[in-house]
Amino acid sequence: MGQAPADVKGHIPQGVELPPARAGEHALERRRRLAAYFQLLPGWLYLFIGFVIPLILIVYTSLTTSGLFSTGGNATFSWHWANYSDAFSLYSNTYIRSLAYAAIATTLCIGLAYPMAYWIAFYGGRWKSTLFMLILVPFFVSFVIRTVQWNFILGTDGLLFGPLKNAGLLSEDFHVLRTPVAVIAGITYNYMPFAALPLYVALERIDRRLVEAGKDLYSSPSVAFRKIVLPLSFPGIFAAIILTFVPATGDYVNSAVLGGPKTTMIGQIIQNQFLEAHQYSIAAALSVVLMGGMLIIALIYARILGTEDETLAAA
Amino acid sequence: MTDEPRSSLPGLDAALARGLTSRRLSRRNMIKLGGISVGTLSFASILAACSSSSGGTSGGTQAGGSVNFDPSTASDHVNFSNWPLYIDKAHGTYPSLEKFTNETDITVTYNDEINDNASFFGEILPQLRAGQDTGRDIIVITNGEYLAALIANGWATELDPSFRPNFDKNAASWAKSPFYDDGNKHTMAWQSGLTGVGYNTTLVNKAPTKLDDLMSTDFFPASSVGVLKADAPDLVMINLGIDPKTSGQDEWTEAADWLTKLRDSDTFYNAYDQGYVDDLNAKNLSGTMAWSGDVLYYKIWGGKPYEFIMPEDGALLWIDNMLIPANSNNPAGALQLMDFYYNPPNAQMLTEYILYMSPVPAVQQLIDKHAQQESGTLATQLDETAKNPMLWPDQALLNQVSLGRNLTTDEESKAWHDTFDPIWQQ
Amino acid sequence: MSTVVSSDVVVIPEAPVRTPRKRWTRWILPVFTIAMIVYLAFPVLVMIIYSFNVIPTTGESERQTTQFTCCTVGHWREIFKVPELNHALLTSIAVAFPAAAIATVLGTFLGLVLARYTFRGRGMTNFIIFLAIAVPEIVLGSSLLAMYVQLGVSKPLGLSIPLGYWSILLSHIAFSIAFVAITVRARASGLDRSLENAAQDLFANPRVTFWRVTLPLILPGIVAGFLLALVLSLDDFVITNFVNGSTNTFPTWVYGASRLGEPPQVNVWGTVLFTVGIVVAVLQVVRTRRTRVEA
Repeated sequence: MGQAPADVKGHIPQGVELPPARAGEHALERRRRLAAYFQLLPGWLYLFIGFVIPLILIVYTSLTTSGLFSTGGNATFSWHWANYSDAFSLYSNTYIRSLAYAAIATTLCIGLAYPMAYWIAFYGGRWKSTLFMLILVPFFVSFVIRTVQWNFILGTDGLLFGPLKNAGLLSEDFHVLRTPVAVIAGITYNYMPFAALPLYVALERIDRRLVEAGKDLYSSPSVAFRKIVLPLSFPGIFAAIILTFVPATGDYVNSAVLGGPKTTMIGQIIQNQFLEAHQYSIAAALSVVLMGGMLIIALIYARILGTEDETLAAA
Repeated sequence: MTDEPRSSLPGLDAALARGLTSRRLSRRNMIKLGGISVGTLSFASILAACSSSSGGTSGGTQAGGSVNFDPSTASDHVNFSNWPLYIDKAHGTYPSLEKFTNETDITVTYNDEINDNASFFGEILPQLRAGQDTGRDIIVITNGEYLAALIANGWATELDPSFRPNFDKNAASWAKSPFYDDGNKHTMAWQSGLTGVGYNTTLVNKAPTKLDDLMSTDFFPASSVGVLKADAPDLVMINLGIDPKTSGQDEWTEAADWLTKLRDSDTFYNAYDQGYVDDLNAKNLSGTMAWSGDVLYYKIWGGKPYEFIMPEDGALLWIDNMLIPANSNNPAGALQLMDFYYNPPNAQMLTEYILYMSPVPAVQQLIDKHAQQESGTLATQLDETAKNPMLWPDQALLNQVSLGRNLTTDEESKAWHDTFDPIWQQ
Repeated sequence: MSTVVSSDVVVIPEAPVRTPRKRWTRWILPVFTIAMIVYLAFPVLVMIIYSFNVIPTTGESERQTTQFTCCTVGHWREIFKVPELNHALLTSIAVAFPAAAIATVLGTFLGLVLARYTFRGRGMTNFIIFLAIAVPEIVLGSSLLAMYVQLGVSKPLGLSIPLGYWSILLSHIAFSIAFVAITVRARASGLDRSLENAAQDLFANPRVTFWRVTLPLILPGIVAGFLLALVLSLDDFVITNFVNGSTNTFPTWVYGASRLGEPPQVNVWGTVLFTVGIVVAVLQVVRTRRTRVEA
């Protein structure tokens, strides 16, 4: 498919002197550009008001102090950097745990999704899209319902373990809920499509002839895979990593529903600080740290990949 | 929700549904308060200065003098917000409210929108801050941090004591001048209840009697004990021989240590905001800190092998309080309604339906008499209601229970939360 | 042209020795994939099966139990039994469709312009869109709520956004726009401009070009964006939870109800929504099959 360079301004090449007869095209060009700005404006404005301003607001909030009793909840802005030092000193464990859970879950997601995506992309044939649909179809059901179902399934005396315990295969004490295993399993489960989709798209694009050539050149199919398919699928892997890792770090539904006091993730803390402790200034600081961390990671990845266009295109 | 006809064990059915969706069991999670509280900060300092709307800060402090509670000034409508299944109900109507309307010509719009203190507080906070009418004339809030915040910021209308004769005559001793509201300047009790220990008799190794038993595998199997996060500190302090009402940081640390021990013991399973009943029913829990209403409901109506006990060293008492939010449209009418429920026959209508501790002791005799007039299962039920010690605490029981700590300043609140929250947020 | 002289020996490399592929290794991947599909579908299967569970009813409030007893269609017949659930579902739908529609319109133009023109602030816009996707939902949710409440307190220009349907709707549009924009942008940047140029050479003015040529070409991207926005809105939990006041959407209601135990109607409705999703997916597949055949 022919690709127009993305920065073509209409179709007047730059720096070319136009013969007088075509001078009118400048005006046309200007009109066209104004039209472009005009089309852009509503969406841009909405994004700005609905997205950028709230974010600025929360950064502002993170530097305030407030108290329900002393000021009726009004916040005083005072460059209160102590909020950030409090956030780090009290909750660095939780941040690290969230990053760790997300990293493990992302690895599992990619490890499990890759073979699936590979097989469907390469050997699916006519049924490729149907098979891939089958993977995505369970996710039409709200993730809240699916997580709650896992809570139901993994109960101490529940669907899965009840019969096993009755059969004596598991000790009565055995439980999965409230352990890190349950939370990580939940995150892995819920974010699987975020990993599978980019992987599948990337793998599906790979020219089969390259693989064939590889099989002829290299000693075995697995080497061909390693040398040809894997590198070509790197953009997909990178996209999958970032699309999975970033949201998973801020997730709290899985740890709230499936976890316990020792598996707390930063998302839960942020909520909790907003609600129970009314320490909204600190809560905002926690949010900003989370957001900042994720942005840094995302930007690093964008750099690695070259342009953010590619990342998102791969997605 | 449909309601059962009066003749078939009304109290229990209501208590059933009541326990199931009991005032603590929120259908919404509690994040909202946090988010709404965030909004209270932000550009407040700048905008409050520029804003032309009145009372940008803690709007609407109303001294009793500036609000007229004379019944003759009452307008003809009151909005009453309450917890689910916390009022008598029959065939889609509220008999006690209808009786009130007949007596006073004031109509009542009843809304059982309150599912938990924190999120409801968060919902009305913006309007309170802006000095606006919240649209509610009576709300019901449990004693504790949020009630204290409402009072401290002047958001609970001061009541005029000369217009509540029934309250003065009939209220129980524990309802009069509770330590968190001296002289009942802002609140009047609606109902009261207990936090103790609930357990599944078929799953426990031995029936517990003390709070310490929660930690021991002699009593409970491993990984099967639950904790109520909000009530735990007070309950633990009571059982450590501390009076929570006057406790300080040292006592809190003591309680926190006990809770940490419980959390790290083999028996511990999970800590809850209010969803322990589901885990109890799913047999993920064999025992837990619990509210009396929930456990008794499942025991009597659900036929489950549950038991509710007050730990040997004491249980936690909590009181749900009626109050009039600031800037109410009809404070005179609201106070009339509040006082109406302190007339024993009216209070009787409530208790026979919702089975919680009534602030009007005279009701006990009325229910007893009613039981003798009826026959069959209804009579048995009424009789049980009249005789249940949890509903009619004598002084001995009152000595065994205590109200929880009232947090009244930001420093106290921060210290409390910094002491207890991290235990459940490792 | 090279000629092979008989004295030249052309060495043909030895064909690599290939270990005869054992039959069973061919089955690893397919079996794994099938197993994964089952695993992914497992909670959904449980949900469907338990919608037929017989529950010993205790009064009017039924909650799902672990015990499975076959089988009743009672819950299906009483599908509208829980009024709060019905209300939440209606709210979800009433938010999702308008939100997706508006987000699609706004996002399409955004994506189109981003794909085609350079302009000042292009990098900034790209960054904002990138942000909208990278920022954790919990941060976005709490900040949106802060903004709405502040508007409610200070009422600039007498405007305020009540927490409820409107705040949910506006929030959903906010986060959906970015997703639609990148979908359309991806589609538009792959387009051949020569078609449009040809149309304009044929004296079509820009508006006609847009409606008759550009739009149909990027339509698959727009449709994909719309569906994406729709799903994002229906399934959104975190942001909705922050900004919804006392109004419930389906996910927030389910989450709240999970504290007490779910009524069986949740399983029933989950199954209904799931079926709708499958039907849509099947239609989509059939449609692409057909267009592929036609092409």
